[in-house]
Amino acid sequence: MEKAIVLKNITKRFPGIVANDNINLEINKGEIHAIVGENGAGKSTLMKILAGLYQPDEGEIYVFGKKEKINSPNRAIELGIGMVHQHFMLVGRFSVLENIILGSEKKKGITIDWENARQVIKELCDLYNFSVDIDAKVEDISVGMAQRVEILKVLYRGADILVFDEPTATLAPQEVKELFVNLRKLKEEGKTIIFISHKLDEVLEIADRVTVLRRGKVIGTVFANETTKEELARMMVGKPVLLKLDKEEVKKGDIILTVENLYLRSESGQILLEGINFNIRSGEIYGIAGVEGNGQRELAEAIMGLRAISEGEIKLVGESIKNLSIRERRSKGIAFIPEDRHKQGLVLPMKVWENVILGLHRKREFIRYPFLNVEKIQKFARGIVDKYNVMLSSINQPVEGLSGGNQQKVILGRELSQDPILVIAAQPTRGLDIGASEFVYTRLLSLREQGKAILLISADLDEVLSLSDRIGVMYKGKIVAEFKPEETTLEQIGLYMLGVYTDKDGETA
Amino acid sequence: MKKNYKILTLKILAPFIAIFLAAFFSSFVILTINKSPLEVFYTMFKFSFRRLDSIAIILYNSTPLIFSGLAVAIAFRMGLFNIGVEGQYLIGTFLAAFVGFSLEGLPPFIHIPLLILSGMLGGMIWAYLPIYLKIRKGVHEVISTIMLNYIAYSLIHYLISEIFIDRSQKLLIRTPKLAPSALMPKLHGVLALFGIELPKHVYLNWFFVIAVLLAIAIYYIVYYTPFGFELRAVGQNPEASRTAGIDKEKVFYKGFLLSGAIAGLVGLSDLMSYFGYMDLDFPRGYGFDGIAVALIGQNDPFGIILASILFGFLRRGAEGIQTLLNVPMDTIVILQALMIITIVIINKIVGDYIKRLEKKGAR
Repeated sequence: MEKAIVLKNITKRFPGIVANDNINLEINKGEIHAIVGENGAGKSTLMKILAGLYQPDEGEIYVFGKKEKINSPNRAIELGIGMVHQHFMLVGRFSVLENIILGSEKKKGITIDWENARQVIKELCDLYNFSVDIDAKVEDISVGMAQRVEILKVLYRGADILVFDEPTATLAPQEVKELFVNLRKLKEEGKTIIFISHKLDEVLEIADRVTVLRRGKVIGTVFANETTKEELARMMVGKPVLLKLDKEEVKKGDIILTVENLYLRSESGQILLEGINFNIRSGEIYGIAGVEGNGQRELAEAIMGLRAISEGEIKLVGESIKNLSIRERRSKGIAFIPEDRHKQGLVLPMKVWENVILGLHRKREFIRYPFLNVEKIQKFARGIVDKYNVMLSSINQPVEGLSGGNQQKVILGRELSQDPILVIAAQPTRGLDIGASEFVYTRLLSLREQGKAILLISADLDEVLSLSDRIGVMYKGKIVAEFKPEETTLEQIGLYMLGVYTDKDGETA
Repeated sequence: MKKNYKILTLKILAPFIAIFLAAFFSSFVILTINKSPLEVFYTMFKFSFRRLDSIAIILYNSTPLIFSGLAVAIAFRMGLFNIGVEGQYLIGTFLAAFVGFSLEGLPPFIHIPLLILSGMLGGMIWAYLPIYLKIRKGVHEVISTIMLNYIAYSLIHYLISEIFIDRSQKLLIRTPKLAPSALMPKLHGVLALFGIELPKHVYLNWFFVIAVLLAIAIYYIVYYTPFGFELRAVGQNPEASRTAGIDKEKVFYKGFLLSGAIAGLVGLSDLMSYFGYMDLDFPRGYGFDGIAVALIGQNDPFGIILASILFGFLRRGAEGIQTLLNVPMDTIVILQALMIITIVIINKIVGDYIKRLEKKGAR
């Protein structure tokens, strides 16, 4: 069978992590090949390598049997590889026709050859049975149609291999059905399709073969009709790689945080959180596991007061805090380690010592009326730098010059300095190397020993399992199951995370 | 440490490079009207700096621009564009004039501060509208402040020509004269103590000193008070500031009203020393010059003082080349425009370079 793409020993490293570790992959011409894996498994990196956005550090790529270097997106197109992005790259004010030809307009004299373009696109639509109104403005069309426009864009440029990056993420169920009809038609006409997803039902329905990635490595390639959802899920989450941590027995104290029947809707009315119930005691780490985008971020932000809740109750030590401002919640003893430290945690151009008091700058100890007590603040900042071993050249340095791990230490130092009773840690080790991650783990565990209540939100299952006293699994805005780590397995949690099991009793989907 | 000096040198040098480049490019404009660029620039310097009274005029020229530049810079620190300094100072000036001509018999040490407070109040009122609209209704402050400038022009026109017109005048359309107690003393007396004698036609007054003191105060407020800290944090990362518990809207209100209050002082030097009344020809455009000044001064209070003096010198020099060489004053407007363009470009280049330097050093 002819191979559309062969990857041999592809390795791609980023500072601190190996995103793709010796990847070997063969994609047959004319097949639908799914690539599945958790967030951070290396799917996007691999696709960016195919699309010419990244260069692999090692390894070889063969396209239709010929060894190639894909050193730019244009080169990828020349080779017939087209990306259909998850987030559409379309101009709303332009018509469908204009969007399709944008960037590769064929000219007649000095004007665009509209007639020819219209003709070619019509033919493509007929060939693949695409229903698209090519004169409609893109801002007026549905998401499903916008996606077909994206597909037409790459077909118009002559792609034979189409890469779909989580194509169903933003689609309604009936639009997914239509997409699958389109995909099958494309396959019938001899196109090769690479389909990236973590939705196992869809993968099993559409793909011929499935390759599973985990932690940058290929775990295996299986035929879709010879496997099951459970097997794929097990391949995705893998055997437990429990971290070796000194987790001491801590006596649980009073209930610190209570979340009751919490509902949150987006501005457009979409339900983001649906009836969330849980509590955290002092000395306890409550872990939230889940594939990203299932409401974890919203939950943290609702407790912190960054989002107004629609229904329900949030209590801190028995006292309702749902109507308090962010500042009031902080002064009641909630510390927050946000998942996006650049956007939410730090003011990057400001100095390290200034970032260390962000939000604390009105504290009496840091004021020498009417000024900031710079001397005292700098002493405070130096204290944090020493205690957390932050590597920097000077506390007067803008915090953007620090490495990710050191930036995270600055945030930890600031948030934990005020002796909080509840710590919300969202993806606290994201993008950190092993050393920095371990540092964060020991800090969290020592907070637990000090009797703090900790809400740990993480996409890293190992992390959640190793640190937590209890684990809630979130799926589509709900906590679908709650476990004690010693009473569950990585696989079981994985199945709930991926929506294979949906009711609390498990076993059946 | 050595790197820090390099960065500092670059930052200070950048505006000078830009000014030099602007002068270079405007030379071609001067050549097109058949004048020698060197002679023009030489005349500008000679005319401006040869005599003490000319230097005093430059400082007088720069006074309103310092206030205006500071007002723009304060808003800019929060990431807001106060294009409305123009309208704010006209309203402020009128309110001050009103207090000046309607109250009589007050001692100057009460009357003058009263005018200053009225000016600030006027500016604050005119700044309150756009910031209220922004926070409550999401109206972009650039649009609303520009619109409010036009409303201010017309409103002032109406107030001066219809309501508060000086009826004792037959020909001139203007407000009544300010009471003598409302006029700001000139600096002549103090300077005379140091042996500097200024002629009567120079109007350099205490507002220049107030402007410089205010610039120093703003420097400390922005960099060393909790409020200034919030101002900068919100300006550079509103999302992180909110997450840290800073009330962004409150900061916007306070900061924009401060900007408006400072804007209200822009016209007072002209009103309370030179004119003594407000008429339809009261100087306009200080608000827009303030944007240029803040840009060239890089939103730094001391940079703003220097940029204002630069603009004051350009205006004085323009008078010189017009009188002595018959070169139109508009040449200087072209020079100013070129300066703004070059400063933006140079700042971008130098800024990127400094960022690279800082990144390199950190790892």
